[in-house]
Amino acid sequence: MSQTQSLTYSLVVNGSVYGSQSARSAYQFAVALLEKGHQLVSVFFYQDGVINGSALSVPANDEFDLTKAWQALAKEHQVRLETCVAAALRRGVISQAEADLHGLKQHNLADGFHQAGLGSLAEALLTQDRVVQF
Amino acid sequence: MSQLTFVFRSCPHTTSAGREGVDALLAASAYSEEISVIFLGDGVGHLLSMQNPSEIQSKDYAPMFKLFDLYDIEQVFVCQHSLQERGLDGAALLIQAQVLNVEAVQQQLGMATKILTF
Repeated sequence: MSQTQSLTYSLVVNGSVYGSQSARSAYQFAVALLEKGHQLVSVFFYQDGVINGSALSVPANDEFDLTKAWQALAKEHQVRLETCVAAALRRGVISQAEADLHGLKQHNLADGFHQAGLGSLAEALLTQDRVVQF
Repeated sequence: MSQLTFVFRSCPHTTSAGREGVDALLAASAYSEEISVIFLGDGVGHLLSMQNPSEIQSKDYAPMFKLFDLYDIEQVFVCQHSLQERGLDGAALLIQAQVLNVEAVQQQLGMATKILTF
C-alpha cells in the first residue's frame, strides 16, 4: 500500500447542533480524516454552528449527542474546538468571562469549547493544508 | 492566484450568511492580501445600492462592502448570468465589481486554493 501524505485540516461548521445535517456531516468527516491518519487541528464553529458549543442542549435518549461527540473527539485527538465569539454572543452561547462582562447571570459554553475571534478562522485558512466548510 | 476566495451566494438579510461572511472576509483581509470575492446566484443582491433593511429590523451592512478599497480587497467579481437571471443587469451596484460570464466564474473558482461560501 502506498503511504499517503498526512495533511493538516481545519473544519468550518456553519450548521446548528440540531436541525440540519451540516454539523453531523462535519463530525463524520472529522472521524474519517483522523482514521486516515491526517491531523485535525481545529474545528471553527461559525454562524448557527456555534450552537454546537451549548452545554444546554438535551437530545432525546435515542439520538446522537453531537456536542458530547465533539468533546470526546477533541479530547482524544487534541483538536481545538473554537466558537466564533461574535456569532455565539448573538445566539446565546456564552462563556463565563462574557457572562461577567455583559452582566448575565448564566453561562453555557460547553467544556472543551473556546470562544475565538474571526482571526482564528483566517489563520486556519492560511495555515492548514485543507479547510473544509460544512 | 488568490490565497483565499470568499463566495457570496445567499440573499442579503434573508439569512445572516452574508453579514457574517463579510465579517469573516474583512477579518481575513488583515492576514492576507491575496483575497478574491465572488458574488454569485442570490448573492448578487448584496451589490444592489439603496437598500433600506432597517425597515425589516435588519442591520444595514452594505457599508462593510464599501470598505473593500480601504482593506485592499481588489479582486471583486460578480456573475453576469446571475445578474441577468434576476433582471439586475445594468442595475446600479454598490461597489465596483468586475462582471464575469459563467465560464470566467468557473475559472476563478477553479484557480482558488481555499474557498469559503456564505
